[in-house]
Amino acid sequence: MTSKTAFCLLGSTALATLGSAAAAQDELNALVWCDHTDPALIEPFEEAHDVTVNLREYEGTGAALATLEQSRPGDWDVLVIDGIDVFRAIDAGILAPLPADELPTDDFFPEVVMEDNNSRDGEIYAVTEKFGYNTISYNSEAVDEADMQSLSTVWSEKYDGRISIYDYYLPVMGIAALAEGIDTAAIDADALGPIGDTLSAMRGRAASVAGVVAAQTALATGEVDIVVGGGEWLTAVLAEEQPALTWTIPEEGAVRWTQSIGVLADSEKPDLALEFVKYIVSPEGQARLATSSCFWGMPANAGAGEFLDDDQKARLRWDDQEDYLAATQLYPAPDTDLDIEMQDLWLNTLQQ
Amino acid sequence: MTARADTIRGWGFAAPALVWTAAFFVVPFVVMAAMSLATLDGRTLIWGLHPDNYLELASKAYLARAIVVSLEITLTVTVVSVMLAYPLAWIIAFRIPPRWQRLALLLAILPFWTSYVVRSYAWLLVLARDGVVNQALLGIGLIDEPLTLANTRFATVTGFVHFFVMLLTLTIYANLVQLSPNYRKAAADLGANAFQTFRHVVLPLTLPGIMTGAFLTFVLCIGDYITPQILGGNTELTVPQVIMVQLGRRADFPLASALAVVLMGLVTLAYLVMSRWLRLDRL
Amino acid sequence: MTRTLLPLVYGSAAFVFIYLPVAALVLFSFQDGTLPVPPFEGPSLRWYADVLADDDLTAALLNSLGVALLSASVAVTLGFTAAYGLARHRLPGTALLRALLIAPLTVSYLIVGLGLLIVLQRIGIGLSLWTAGIGHVVINLPLCFAIIYASMGAQNVNAERAARDLGAREAQVVLLVTVPMLAPAILAAFFLSITLSWDEFIIAFLLTRFDVTLPVEIWSMLRSGLSPRLNAIGSLVFLVSVTAVILLELVVFRRRS
Repeated sequence: MTSKTAFCLLGSTALATLGSAAAAQDELNALVWCDHTDPALIEPFEEAHDVTVNLREYEGTGAALATLEQSRPGDWDVLVIDGIDVFRAIDAGILAPLPADELPTDDFFPEVVMEDNNSRDGEIYAVTEKFGYNTISYNSEAVDEADMQSLSTVWSEKYDGRISIYDYYLPVMGIAALAEGIDTAAIDADALGPIGDTLSAMRGRAASVAGVVAAQTALATGEVDIVVGGGEWLTAVLAEEQPALTWTIPEEGAVRWTQSIGVLADSEKPDLALEFVKYIVSPEGQARLATSSCFWGMPANAGAGEFLDDDQKARLRWDDQEDYLAATQLYPAPDTDLDIEMQDLWLNTLQQ
Repeated sequence: MTARADTIRGWGFAAPALVWTAAFFVVPFVVMAAMSLATLDGRTLIWGLHPDNYLELASKAYLARAIVVSLEITLTVTVVSVMLAYPLAWIIAFRIPPRWQRLALLLAILPFWTSYVVRSYAWLLVLARDGVVNQALLGIGLIDEPLTLANTRFATVTGFVHFFVMLLTLTIYANLVQLSPNYRKAAADLGANAFQTFRHVVLPLTLPGIMTGAFLTFVLCIGDYITPQILGGNTELTVPQVIMVQLGRRADFPLASALAVVLMGLVTLAYLVMSRWLRLDRL
Repeated sequence: MTRTLLPLVYGSAAFVFIYLPVAALVLFSFQDGTLPVPPFEGPSLRWYADVLADDDLTAALLNSLGVALLSASVAVTLGFTAAYGLARHRLPGTALLRALLIAPLTVSYLIVGLGLLIVLQRIGIGLSLWTAGIGHVVINLPLCFAIIYASMGAQNVNAERAARDLGAREAQVVLLVTVPMLAPAILAAFFLSITLSWDEFIIAFLLTRFDVTLPVEIWSMLRSGLSPRLNAIGSLVFLVSVTAVILLELVVFRRRS
């Protein structure tokens, strides 16, 4: 490359960067999970409102809260956050109240409206947008399906070394609690004893503790037959080619994950941000979010059903949701101290 | 030009780099060290001289374990990489005709230019239960059952060694070709066999180069997050993985900083052990 | 017999090891299915089409290129001036200054990134490609300095002195004599910096916001699930990088030697 072309390239990149900063009046900045980065979801909103939506993915609530607390007013407009962590964002004072009457929560699956989580002192600060389950994914050709119906037989000796554990402590410890007959909402410091024992037993049988891709690779290549903490979001993409890979909710139940969306108190475009939130929870937005390229999940708004075809609904197991919602509990929502203890217990178990 | 004017000009030339290093390296490092002595009350950061984070290293078994795991992996990788790369560099330097050497060397390090994140992922596919390695071993009848290779420490080490063998082949080759052939000839004339020549002549002369390469391997390996995260299966955690966990869920910058300082301490230790052979400003 | 056979066997084994992951990566980028795992279901270009149509990836690729070129230019410029200042002028405490400039080389990238992140957050500078670029200069500056400093031998001093005796001012000496004579070292430092910045993950991950570099974008893809798209983008990056390397080898370095 000659220095001249290099210089031109440099110049154009720099100009593009500066250019995008200059056009700030038409932008919305959102801190999100990866399912929100699908252009099929975002572009219709951008076109309808003639704006650019800037998206940044993040990995942990702590990192997101730190980012938001360090930022200047106007830096961020919209936040997508783990449903169980909404209270942390409210505590930190970073969310703005939402107008309840403009949100279609009446059309939602009632179990996921989660008013207690999303509001405080009568004000709503966030709204649930998507949910699913952390449960048991397995290869139906390699395991006895009856064994998968009870947590007591999932990590039994029969499947020693055939198990992978999903790499996130909250849902997995929630499943461990359910196996011990402890409600996830009742987890306290005392409950960590039996949960730790179960976790240890589970870990002893496991070949790996894997993130999404490693767990999928392990399942698809037959390295393991079971993923504890898996679910539709893990196996659906694999099932297209390997229909034997499936998931179930055992009789003890499983844990339910939810994600919420809200507007930031420091936003300088609260109206546009609210429009975005309304778009995401509208039936059309919900259908697109449910089938986003990063991961699929059930839309909170049952009205999205009209915009999903039969295949998509079958894949989401739309008709089973009533049973599933009844059989599952929200995953643990510890306060700061308990959270530290849970994470320490988890890391200690990994390192054992 | 007077000596004084000369010195002033010298500062003029050196100043931009020195200021850059001070502003974007030294200052952040000092702030991070100060951060490691701060503490979190809920989500509020309290500066001061609190040893809490360092005490946690003693009280939380997984933190101490992470240091051991990191050291074990890094030392294994460093030693294995040097031992694999040295013969390869030797073959290229002394067994391949000079006009083909550059090509051979280029070929040996070409996969260096695959994206680093993708390279770890590629190893995950290669080492999988029905991946290439298992299929080949089954095919030649060496094993009856597929081995569990992915998501283990073996996988992490393999991914690292692959990368560092390329890097070290390059640096060791550069050292070998700088040796005058006369040394080897003289040793042969004095009756040394090939091994004696290597042991008493070539190895001592190339040791500084090897050590410099080994030290860089140590630094890059012990601070790496991607390779153990993708390949290691989280059956054990390294220090960088623990740091990222602290940043992600809890945003515990003080504890993360303390771990980073510990990491820095390990590198310094390695530096002190190897310093008599290192030639860092003569790469 | 063993004199030729052993090196041949070892060399071949080493090359198999080195090319194994690349071969698997490229092979399954042509997978005609949705999973990049055996069995291979026959060649298809669908994942390449998919990747090339992805605007986020294209944008990330351009971002990476911009950050790499700009940060490498700054690192080489600073590295050169510092090397010149230290090698050609009498400065007090040269050994200490050299140690300071080399120091970032002995520190893990994670530490460089974490330190910068903390400071930038404290003083309220927003994260962007620029901040990632600053981090890349920090890690590449010591390499550039070391490479150029090492090549500032005595033979150049005489040429510089001759130029000065003929009335050239110092700026002219540097630009017209020193830089051309050190061109191989400067170019080597420049291309090494580009390579390292182009492929750097953790600093770019910690220090960018909306616009990200290619390794960060690939990391996001990796977290979203197993797909031959990853193989396709990996193969493309390899193809582009290797083409650049071979062109450089043929055009720049071959001509000089």
